[in-house]
Amino acid sequence: MSSYLCHDFKTPRTDTSKRLPESFKAVPVLFYLALLVGTYFMTMDWMAYKRAQTVKAQADTTREEHEKASSKMRAQKEILDAETKKAEAVAKWMEGARNLQPISVAIARAVPPEVTLSNLTLERSDQVPSNLALSVNINGGTAAEVAMIEASLARLQYRSYSPQQSKNGSVIEYRSTLVRQE
Amino acid sequence: MLLDEIKSVLTFAAFKPEADDATVSWSKRFEGRKTLLLNVGRNQTSWRGINRKGRFEAGGVMEGEFSEVAPQRAEEWRDLCDGGWCVVSINNRFIVSLENNMLRGDNSVHLLRTNPRAVLGPKYDRGKRYAVCHHQASTGSMLLACEESMVKGTEDVLKAVGLRPGRVCCGLFALLESALHQFHESQAAEAAQNLVLIAACEGSIAVLVQQDGQWRELRCRSGLGPDAVETSLQIISPLIQKAPQGCPIQFVADGQDVKFHDDLLVHLQKFGVTDLTQEDLLWRTIGVN
Repeated sequence: MSSYLCHDFKTPRTDTSKRLPESFKAVPVLFYLALLVGTYFMTMDWMAYKRAQTVKAQADTTREEHEKASSKMRAQKEILDAETKKAEAVAKWMEGARNLQPISVAIARAVPPEVTLSNLTLERSDQVPSNLALSVNINGGTAAEVAMIEASLARLQYRSYSPQQSKNGSVIEYRSTLVRQE
Repeated sequence: MLLDEIKSVLTFAAFKPEADDATVSWSKRFEGRKTLLLNVGRNQTSWRGINRKGRFEAGGVMEGEFSEVAPQRAEEWRDLCDGGWCVVSINNRFIVSLENNMLRGDNSVHLLRTNPRAVLGPKYDRGKRYAVCHHQASTGSMLLACEESMVKGTEDVLKAVGLRPGRVCCGLFALLESALHQFHESQAAEAAQNLVLIAACEGSIAVLVQQDGQWRELRCRSGLGPDAVETSLQIISPLIQKAPQGCPIQFVADGQDVKFHDDLLVHLQKFGVTDLTQEDLLWRTIGVN
């Protein structure tokens, strides 16, 4: 390109200001640099935010799956707990339900040979299996046989609760609730 | 206002030269912007646009006084430029003369615009605007003096139609300067100490004679009109005849009237003239440099 510069004789303007020095170009350059760096960081942050959102969604899904599994396990545990409670109740009942044979034997041995027993009933309570409703008909017996029966039961650690006896001819009907003494 | 200043800093516009900074070439001042080139003659005005890529685009010509043409073409002209900036080439009411021992220096051109009395001394005429072209190897200078009323009148007309002149120059003087610059830059300048340079633009003509490496004579007439081939030859012929044998004679011309150029060239070819005229020479001279 030619170095020739065309002449000019226009009326000079008075409102012109001095141009900024070249070094001041650093100002817009730094501005755009800051803009670029800011944009870079914003983009990176945005991408990280998006990644975090994806990870959070995955975590939420996993949490929901775990919660579902947990609730399922909880329901199973509840069922098992209920079963356990039932089993415990049965075990407790079973524990309370002691052998009746020693009682029958103790009553039979308590009465003398001349006295007979026409009826012996032992009924276990549903709620409290350790309590027994005793009903016995003593033929030709007296109150002494009743006392002997009670004594033999006491040796087996049973206490008579609200005993009732009634005499019907030669038959003494004895009713009592046997409570196990622990 | 503050926002505009911030915007100009951020767009680097604040570091670019002012639109009317005469120390910077036109193409550099308006890089990436459209500008308008106007060539104002005595009875006609021609124009040409420069697009954002720096290429010439649509142009036109209209007969009549500039003050009458401008309002009619204002809208078209405003579309051809960004911000209304234009170059005006004035081809009327000026004179070019030869001077010696004029003040030279880095600031002399600027001083000639702002305080011409300091440069010209007693030669200064307050009703004129000046431009100067110094000989590179001697003390001679070509001094252009243009009527200030013509310059101010043109500027006022442009201002009225919403255009802003970024440069006001003389097309003929620009062609002379440009041709001399090319001549001195070429290898021929060292060998050829003699030269006759004829320049014509929109009916104005100038002839410069250099002998023994010195500018000896300069004749100039402005506003002759495109029909004044004979008058032009009367100015040119005596100077050519006085020139030493073998002296290169160069002719450069531009303008809307091709007939004037062709007619003049027919006569000048008898003297062995080299025609340096190129397409869009004036537009390139005032709209690129």
